[in-house]
Amino acid sequence: MTPGSWASRPERKEMVELLATPAAWPAILLGRAQAADPTDLDAAVRDGAFDGLRRAIRDLGATATIAEIASSGLRGRGGAGYPAAEKWRTAVSIEAPRRYAVANGYGADPACHTDRTLLVRDPFAIVEGLAIAAFAIGASEAFIAVRAEDTDVVAALATAIGEATEAGFLGPDVLGSGRDVFMSVRPVQGAYMLGEETVLLKALEGKRGQPEQRPPYPAQRGLLGMPTVVNNVQTLAAVPWIIRNGAAAFAATGDPASPGTVLVQLRTPGGDGIAEVPLGTPLGEVIALGASLPAGRSLQAILVGGPSGGLLPPAALDTPYTFAALRAAGAHLGSGSIVVVDDRTDLVELVGVLTRFCSSEACGKSIPCRIGTKRLAELVARREDGLARPTDDVLGQDLAADIVASALCDHERLATLPYTSGMRYFASAFDCASRPEPAATEAPR
Amino acid sequence: MNDETFLMSLIPGLGIAKGMALTLHRFFEPKVTIKYPEVTSEIIPKSRGRLQLLYDEWGSLKCETCFQCAQACPIECIDMGGMDTRGRFHVHWGPPETYGERREESALRRSGRPVPDPAFVTFAAVDLSGLDAILESFDHDPAQMLLILEATQAAYGYLPVAALKRISEKTGAWYAMIYGTASFYSHLRFEPAQAVHQAAAVDVHRPSETSYLTALDAALGRDAGQLGQPARA
Ligand SMILES: Cc1cc2nc3c(=O)[nH]c(=O)nc-3n(C[C@H](O)[C@H](O)[C@H](O)COP(=O)(O)O)c2cc1C
Ligand code: SF4
Ligand code: FES
Repeated sequence: MTPGSWASRPERKEMVELLATPAAWPAILLGRAQAADPTDLDAAVRDGAFDGLRRAIRDLGATATIAEIASSGLRGRGGAGYPAAEKWRTAVSIEAPRRYAVANGYGADPACHTDRTLLVRDPFAIVEGLAIAAFAIGASEAFIAVRAEDTDVVAALATAIGEATEAGFLGPDVLGSGRDVFMSVRPVQGAYMLGEETVLLKALEGKRGQPEQRPPYPAQRGLLGMPTVVNNVQTLAAVPWIIRNGAAAFAATGDPASPGTVLVQLRTPGGDGIAEVPLGTPLGEVIALGASLPAGRSLQAILVGGPSGGLLPPAALDTPYTFAALRAAGAHLGSGSIVVVDDRTDLVELVGVLTRFCSSEACGKSIPCRIGTKRLAELVARREDGLARPTDDVLGQDLAADIVASALCDHERLATLPYTSGMRYFASAFDCASRPEPAATEAPR
Repeated sequence: MNDETFLMSLIPGLGIAKGMALTLHRFFEPKVTIKYPEVTSEIIPKSRGRLQLLYDEWGSLKCETCFQCAQACPIECIDMGGMDTRGRFHVHWGPPETYGERREESALRRSGRPVPDPAFVTFAAVDLSGLDAILESFDHDPAQMLLILEATQAAYGYLPVAALKRISEKTGAWYAMIYGTASFYSHLRFEPAQAVHQAAAVDVHRPSETSYLTALDAALGRDAGQLGQPARA
């Protein structure tokens, strides 16, 4: 391998620390996170690993397993919050010679390391969750897709899968169920869009990574045309816990409409940290887990959801951290990233950075994606330079609405959020009259 | 032929009568003149009009050679041929057999380049025996294309055109399809690593991620590289 070849790059070394959380908060995802060696199968089994798989196969069977997940109310952690059991039922309801189960561990947001932290600290939770999903939908092949740059994740998963196979939790005739579950790691790299499920499946098929129109959803027609369940790794890691402790115990945690916990990465002026947070916790309480602002600084805004997140004002601190409440406020759960923005930040510049990133990562397949996001980025750039045109307010509004209405995939829709939420809550900061005078020599962007 | 159509075919002159009926119908139809452009005629929703490659206001071609249109065209009437963005080699849509070569030539003529194109024929020769072993190990399976391309890049340092052609030939995947895949993922490249790439080799993010993280931290007033520090000061 030559120097500079991407495949030979060193692993993404940064590991973000876990934050201390109140003792009353349940530890569903990070219960085994403090294990000395996360890839030690015996130690993990002593801590309950693969109890869920055993119970799903021996006591419940496929249909009752799906019913148990349904009554737990588990929603997908990949961003959209779609009920996990419904996706599984769709895949089962379709006659097909084969089905596939895929764990989405790509972690598209480069500033958010939640999925990667889970994968490194408890690979068996994902292996077991995916095995249960595969068993429940009758898939004999399952893949865990992760970032190729994260060589430590790839190695941990390869070890975990190897050990689980040797112990009979994976492979032919799993735990005497008569069903095969062959699992493998699939390292992918080279595009932000790989996080989107249809793009991820394209990459697994060796194709150009552009999204497909949905419906048909992957659960109906996915990998190689077969029904495919794609779930986020946090969704899957909650599955064994639910089977082991019962759906009612899970439904009692978090928010009634979206039970359970999610991993959140706080990014504050003082540093970063990851915490497992019950859904429904008010934003203010989540932020309080991290470092307080530097002396003399005040909270200006909170960016919730990653590069395509929404900017919320300090008044929104009591918004519960749930899929529905965040969408209503103009943000989204997204990658689980929460960025604390203090009063030093130029919000227009921040929106510019986010919109430009979303635009440059758009795949180019559809017009809202290829041209719409580009025009939006140009519009924000004009504002940054204090050169907004009188028509830009209306143009921006129309453009964002058109992108949302005509988008092919969710990326374009969400890419409008930084701008629309900024205009919604911080209109005065976006007013050109309040912007610094443009330098005389600067050419218009 | 079902029974009914068979019986109809026995009636002599029926076809002629049907044809004449249509002709007469059209003949006596009221004539319509649409006063375009004052009046615009109704266009069926799927009409895309005349296909044309457009430039944006900065003068760059809007087409980014994604081959979506060629892929979608049911009768393969859309063929795109041209130089890649760095002007180094040809891409075109079409099957890899000889017919493809002819289309390649016609594409060259249409894009106003000499035939044969010197830029097209003078690729550095590469020893393809290593590639054949790679293809063998992936069973020449086009569904493994990303892994094949990654292995090829690991062996050669980049994806030589000759190698892409060989992959196309051996897997049966169209050259343009392979090019479309290879040009999408930012870790795959078509030329030997440049100094920029080498400088970036210590970096673990894609270049666009690095610049995003740097810009994000700058906007937030944080020092770059603060990621990973505990939030509790
Ligand atoms: C631009 C974009 C990026 C995404 N990135 C991720 C990602 O990094 N990880 C993830 O699990 N889901 C991501 N998703 C969501 C997936 O498409 C998909 O909905 C999810 O993996 C399904 O799992 P769930 O039902 O468990 O949430 C992304 C979606 C979009 C539109
Ligand atoms: S190749 Fe892609 S960008 Fe170019 S004309 Fe066809 S569809 Fe449009
Ligand atoms: S990003 Fe291109 S279609 Fe959604």
